[in-house]
Amino acid sequence: MRVRHLGMAFAVPLLVAAGPYDIPLFSTPKAPAASGSARLVFAQSPFGIAVTADGRAQYDVQVTAADLPAPSSLGKFKAYVAWATTPDLQRWDRLGTITNGTTTVGHVSLNKFLLVVTAESDSAPSAHAGPTVLHGTSPSGWLQSFLNHPMFRGITG
Amino acid sequence: MTGRLILLALSLGAPLAIASAQQKKDPMAGMHHMAGMEHDSAGMPIPMPKGMPMIPGLVGLVPPGGTFLPGAGLDPMRLPAAKPSHVVRLANGDTLDLTAMLVKRTIKGHDFAMYGFNGEVPGPLIRVPQNATIIVRFHNRIDLPSAVHWHGVRLDNRSDGAPGVTQEPVAPGGSFVYSVHFPDAGLYWYHPHVREDIEQAMGLFGNMIVDSPLADYYASANSEHVMMLDDLLINGDTLVRFGADGPDFALMGRVGNVLLVNGEPGYTLHVRKGEVARFYLTNAASSRTYNLSFGGASMKVVASDQSRFEREELVPSIVLAPAERYVVDVRFARPGRFAIVNAVQAINHYKGEFEVELDTLGFVTVDAAPAKPDYRRAFATLRANSAVTSEIDRYRKYFDKPPDKQLTLTVQTTGLPLATVQFMTIDTAYYAPVEWIDGMPDMNWLSTSKQVRWILRDDATGKENMDIDWHVARGSVVKLRIFNDPRSFHPMQHPIHLHGQRMLVIARDGIPTRNLVWKDTALIPVGSTVDLLIDASNPGDWMLHCHIAEHLGSGMMAVLHVDR
Repeated sequence: MRVRHLGMAFAVPLLVAAGPYDIPLFSTPKAPAASGSARLVFAQSPFGIAVTADGRAQYDVQVTAADLPAPSSLGKFKAYVAWATTPDLQRWDRLGTITNGTTTVGHVSLNKFLLVVTAESDSAPSAHAGPTVLHGTSPSGWLQSFLNHPMFRGITG
Repeated sequence: MTGRLILLALSLGAPLAIASAQQKKDPMAGMHHMAGMEHDSAGMPIPMPKGMPMIPGLVGLVPPGGTFLPGAGLDPMRLPAAKPSHVVRLANGDTLDLTAMLVKRTIKGHDFAMYGFNGEVPGPLIRVPQNATIIVRFHNRIDLPSAVHWHGVRLDNRSDGAPGVTQEPVAPGGSFVYSVHFPDAGLYWYHPHVREDIEQAMGLFGNMIVDSPLADYYASANSEHVMMLDDLLINGDTLVRFGADGPDFALMGRVGNVLLVNGEPGYTLHVRKGEVARFYLTNAASSRTYNLSFGGASMKVVASDQSRFEREELVPSIVLAPAERYVVDVRFARPGRFAIVNAVQAINHYKGEFEVELDTLGFVTVDAAPAKPDYRRAFATLRANSAVTSEIDRYRKYFDKPPDKQLTLTVQTTGLPLATVQFMTIDTAYYAPVEWIDGMPDMNWLSTSKQVRWILRDDATGKENMDIDWHVARGSVVKLRIFNDPRSFHPMQHPIHLHGQRMLVIARDGIPTRNLVWKDTALIPVGSTVDLLIDASNPGDWMLHCHIAEHLGSGMMAVLHVDR
């Protein structure tokens, strides 16, 4: 499906298809035809679930993208790079480069995070600098606050 | 937060109270047996996480049905004091008398009537050589029917200790004789298979170590330590009572607020600098999954339920689901005092945020004097266990075959309080793969096995739980695919245990497992699909069930018939 946003059409994934380990990715005006999704797969572990010493789940990230234009079409860029960022955007962990198709990039072990794909002039940049072409929120970002839920806001005024 | 909750109470409390069949006019009605209430400083019938009030629509409700605590009417002070476990070394053909009995346990300064095997908590540590057969004369001297299940042991079906499948429950005062054969080296445990939510939680569990004849089965270590982990739910100075007719805390199992090692809080251990300590870890808790570490000391996982791993691995922590066992070598390189910590990501449902929850199970004091011999090099070597790999190689041809059986894990509920239904519905936007703590104990307490039915559903037939009638031929290799449905009313992880056989977790979510080990219990996180390869070599009728005691008590079990 497509929605109008900022006067342009962007590909929007079908949210109803998302499972607990799926991240629908949204396009931006820089690459409006692009679409994608990501899947979180538990990292290998001798245990029933892969976690860090403080209990955060550890995932390998599989990014599937389509209709990404050539990075050079957006400017002086050579690659698309996937990042995991904290919701406040203070921490950016580079996961790896992606292309159209499915790519398994690095580990992520943040509780809540945004998955961001940017066009970059280097395939292994130390910091993000280029434009965002796809982005999405980890399933854990859907965690609801009881007190802030609209149902209760409506009742409590 | 408090102000907003008060508003919630005013606006939601009345209609919810009317809607609930469990509501009493007097919130304390029917609770006169619940001694904890009168003494709880917070005035709550069950302990809530710090700073979190009960949900307004649930205040004043109690679970339906009667309640139970061990030793009703008995003064705990007149019971024998529980003793720590001691090692019982048995040889082939030996006999052990094992008596389930009432004991007095003193925990955090409070005396409770609880249970123990032979007066010990944990029960005696049974240590036998591989391929031994022992006779255990079990005597039930507690106030409930009971039986003993020899968890993980591929023994004769008649001695599996599964009432309703392999034997009748042993009535109070009765006895039963088990013949227990140990074909596989490893770490095992025994516990009742009747009302585990009570009997196991109250102290009826013990370990078994089956020693390989191979001197180098494990790498060299300076010392060995057994740690049986469990937890206890205490409110003020009393135990939180159990449902008399079936488990309460049926949604996610009873999660205790006092963490115990070998039945006691505050585990302590002294070692020397550089010591390699081997820990035999068993999760005997009803529901809690642990994420354990030893103060930053290096840890190497060596073995799990029924065998060594193909390869030893260094790990940042040890994850133990209920009923799982791991053998872990830990090297304490520096002198000092190090906390043994359970570190998990709790979810604060009111804030909608993750919060680190740290529980200290005890401390290891590392003396400055060096350990002798120095096993530093042996510890640094990550051994490849070629014998394990060679044996598993015989099964690899089955890894890619289509599943022979498929199960979906889900739940049905009826008659839960309306507030529970409303809050759970709101909470369905996201599920953690593992619920490490009970963030909503009020909802959980009020859910009982009368209202919650946990389900193993056979995808092929639609049959559920004990209606599933799977027959496989002895010697067959069965690929079982289990999907933990994330869209049920309350998705939750399930540690699935198969009696009397061994299995490999060959893939998780389609990703092949790189380092295999023979298991009898496998954790199925929420939303995950796990492929198990079962070596169905042991004939008989074998239970397959979730090892969260309250889920088992709410129906989550089936039987696999391995035909002769």
